[in-house]
Amino acid sequence: MKKFTKRKEFGIILIILIMSFILTIVSSAFLKADNIIDILRNNAVYGIMAFGMLPVLISGGIDLSVASSIALCAVVAGKIMTVFDTNIVIVFIISMLVGALIGLINGLIITKLKIAPMVATLGIMTVTLGVVLLYTGGTWISGLPEYFKEFGMAKLGNIPTKNGLTLGIPSQVIILILSGVVTWLMLRYTLIGRGIYAIGGSEASAVRVGYNVDKIKVFIYMYSGIMTGIAAVVHTSIVQQVDPNTFLGYELTVISTVVIGGASTMGGVGTVLGTTFGIILMGILQNGLILAKIPTYWQKIVMGLVILIAISVDVINRKREQSKLVRVDVEG
Amino acid sequence: MKKKVLSALMAVAMISSLLAGCSSKTENSSTETQTTETKSTEAQTTETESTESSYDIVVMPKLIGIPYFTQTGEGAKQAGEELGVNVIYNGPTTADAAEQVKMLEDYITQGVDAICVAPNDAAALDPVLKKAKEAGILVLDWDTEATKDLVDASIHQIDDQELGEHLAQKLVDYMGTEDGEYAIITGSLSASNLNTWIQYAKEYMEAKYPNMKLVTDPVGTDEKQTEALSKTKDLLKAYPDLKGIIAVSTPAPIGAAQAIAELGLQDQVSVVGTAVKEDCQEVLADGSLDLGCLWNTQDLGYLTVAVAKSLLDGNQLTDGMEVEGFGTIQVSGDKNVILGPPEDYVK
Amino acid sequence: MNYIKKIQSKHSNEFTLTIIFIGIFILMGALSPDKFLSINNIKTMAFQMPEFGIMAIGMMITILTGGINLSITNGAALSAIVTAFILSSDFSETNPIMGVVLALIACIIVASLTGIINGTVIAYIGVAPMLVTLGTKTLFEGIGLNFTKGGAISGFPDIYSEIGNGDLLGIPIPLILYIVVIVISYLLIERSAWGTEVFMVGCNETATRFSGINTKKTLMKVYLFSGIMSGIASLIISSRYNSAKTDYGSSYLMQSITAVVLGGTSISGGHGSVVGTIVAIAIMQVISTGLNILGVNRYIVDIITGGILIVILAIRFISKEMADKKMIKLRSASSVK
Repeated sequence: MKKFTKRKEFGIILIILIMSFILTIVSSAFLKADNIIDILRNNAVYGIMAFGMLPVLISGGIDLSVASSIALCAVVAGKIMTVFDTNIVIVFIISMLVGALIGLINGLIITKLKIAPMVATLGIMTVTLGVVLLYTGGTWISGLPEYFKEFGMAKLGNIPTKNGLTLGIPSQVIILILSGVVTWLMLRYTLIGRGIYAIGGSEASAVRVGYNVDKIKVFIYMYSGIMTGIAAVVHTSIVQQVDPNTFLGYELTVISTVVIGGASTMGGVGTVLGTTFGIILMGILQNGLILAKIPTYWQKIVMGLVILIAISVDVINRKREQSKLVRVDVEG
Repeated sequence: MKKKVLSALMAVAMISSLLAGCSSKTENSSTETQTTETKSTEAQTTETESTESSYDIVVMPKLIGIPYFTQTGEGAKQAGEELGVNVIYNGPTTADAAEQVKMLEDYITQGVDAICVAPNDAAALDPVLKKAKEAGILVLDWDTEATKDLVDASIHQIDDQELGEHLAQKLVDYMGTEDGEYAIITGSLSASNLNTWIQYAKEYMEAKYPNMKLVTDPVGTDEKQTEALSKTKDLLKAYPDLKGIIAVSTPAPIGAAQAIAELGLQDQVSVVGTAVKEDCQEVLADGSLDLGCLWNTQDLGYLTVAVAKSLLDGNQLTDGMEVEGFGTIQVSGDKNVILGPPEDYVK
Repeated sequence: MNYIKKIQSKHSNEFTLTIIFIGIFILMGALSPDKFLSINNIKTMAFQMPEFGIMAIGMMITILTGGINLSITNGAALSAIVTAFILSSDFSETNPIMGVVLALIACIIVASLTGIINGTVIAYIGVAPMLVTLGTKTLFEGIGLNFTKGGAISGFPDIYSEIGNGDLLGIPIPLILYIVVIVISYLLIERSAWGTEVFMVGCNETATRFSGINTKKTLMKVYLFSGIMSGIASLIISSRYNSAKTDYGSSYLMQSITAVVLGGTSISGGHGSVVGTIVAIAIMQVISTGLNILGVNRYIVDIITGGILIVILAIRFISKEMADKKMIKLRSASSVK
């Protein structure tokens, strides 16, 4: 069993290793602690959203509204911080609540009106983004309070480096790791987590086994919304301003990250470990394009090809596994 | 049968109520966003009152919902109110030329007096602008040039060449050397005005400072500050001798400056770029951005409407002419109206 | 009346959509009678609809199989760019007609290639369509960027602009193209053996395969068809805008998915109709133009489109629910007897 799970992420691990190997050779800057930390910090936002998207995909659904939702959360969080004298915890909670609300709306439309997740979240995506940009006119929110700046630059650990800076794990990366752990615990050890896999495997059987499918589904979309709310604050803590337009196209990046990490858009499959590798792969890809000095006009081509190869290798690998299993069945 | 028709009619009713709800919301929300700009709210009321007697002037940005074009819109609406013309400021929600063409076609059918457009792409708008001219509509371009012979006047915030060369020269000044490596980061690789500035900056560098070495082609950052931040860090790792960065598109210089600040390289690496004044104060203050420059965005919107009105009144475009509401204007060539030199923002 | 009833019961979705279309049309007409209902405006709409409509049909067929084609706009842009290179070459300047013919052929070849790439990875390697087309979207965009360095390619022979801007006996040429595409798509999707296979794959791919149909071939053709549609749309786009660039038509991606779903195609595949999609496209066009004439902020147009999508789908669900209940009632009543 353990061997099998190892195998499932084998394809992506292989690609990550090959890429890292090449990058280490062509660039001396790649395999250094500060670069690795940078990769994680730069992808913390995508990563947290990916952990929120994972349960959605496992259940066989999809959430296209995350990009609009993070824009709304960031605008609300930014306004709260600039208008009220408050603290970081409250900011997080409010942003999570806003995200949860969007998730609740998604969940209710999907379960009560039986509209397909892709369509429901597409509609909510358009409406939410429209409202945000209509309200803000795209204007940035800046002048965020001091405590938030401190939070943005906070680090765990304090190893001095030669250029006078210190090396440590940034707060954003800690939140990324925490959200991964929470998602892992939720999927693995809770009844809801089991239910999510059950729904993704077969919704009808999940009903028959006695899961409250509607409730679980609403939870899934709210979970995705809450993660988006966290990601909104994390993003703002990195850039220290809120630009409502900056999140354009995030949904596709997040979904492809999760799916490259082995989750299926058909549902039933996907692990936190796989998603983690997905995040790492996408991070290395972005980072490596410049470190490997690939000419600008070739970068997108390389990116498209690597994505295509990564997903194909994964599928081919899985197919080979399956055919082996079939043979075992027949021979055994 | 009856039920089907009924439910369909219900749908229509719901949609129309949605519509009504939304359009009343526009007014609310636009009032909200512009509470600081009480003038523009008044502009809206005058708009509705004086629609019959005045000109209809369409001012179309590349897209709506970004700070730059929100500000130019405020200027345009203010001009509309002060000059007593009906300004329609609307554009697509993505910077897509296809959407712009469709909207322009709709306005031509509607029969407006003037169209002022900031083209997402000049060539793509040729056919529709031709159509506008045939319909007897005054055509202006602003922010970015359309095809020369299709417009009656061309409003330039700045001379493209001047801005490109200005950025290059300032970078050399701040770097304090004529012999070093620099990089260019840009908003989108396919944005034509950004590409024009980059082109002029590069040519100027090559001609005047041949020892300045551009390390790689312009790097796209997808109009995202985070991308600019991470790409700048990556660039500094890939090219450790990098000493200067030119950043075009408004989020890019801020992201680049942030990378410099996080790495503590304020004194080693110079950053110059185009940035909105309000948004770049913090990075200017900590020394990570050496120079931000742009033009007065509200004035650009105002000037566009003022020139359009003046031309509709039958005036001819001449250098140093007086335009109602704006004052004397600078005209170069036979139809290029220039707002003025770039405004520099420094610490 | 009987005849109408028959149509209505068999195509209830298209029927409802048509009534909604008429309703919105009347509403827009009432709001600005002199402008919206003018011949000029109707003609403008007829010029605007085809490029988007053809792309949406290309999207629809992939959704019918339970897939999706996210690379459709970038594929179209890539074909347009290759077309533009031929059209703006010296050869086309000296031989405009030959140049245009060559360009048309090249456009369809490139568009087919984009379809074949998608089809190969989806059908023969078996990767999820959403993922493949997400990858090829980046790939096609990258190739386009590499060719153009981000700029637009223009300077076409005058005759080429006829495709997008000309008319034949007062009927816009794009509209004629659109109608031809609709008829062919209808025949292929709803009246041919391959079309039936497409629907079957959408319902249950495994079952279809086990019933002896080469589903790989079917899927391959689906993405090929989708690619060719994007190619035809790109011809109209490059002709209407007299140039080609990597991001032209980028706004059509989400819009076309919206139109397809609005038209009654199930996003999980197996259910939908060409006519439904066509009516949905018309609805979106009327809303867009109508609100534009009224001078409504573009974001509100987006919000309304999103709202309408959810409202119509909700109505569809509720009316189905009501019909089911009625059925149950009828049955239980008859069983009591």
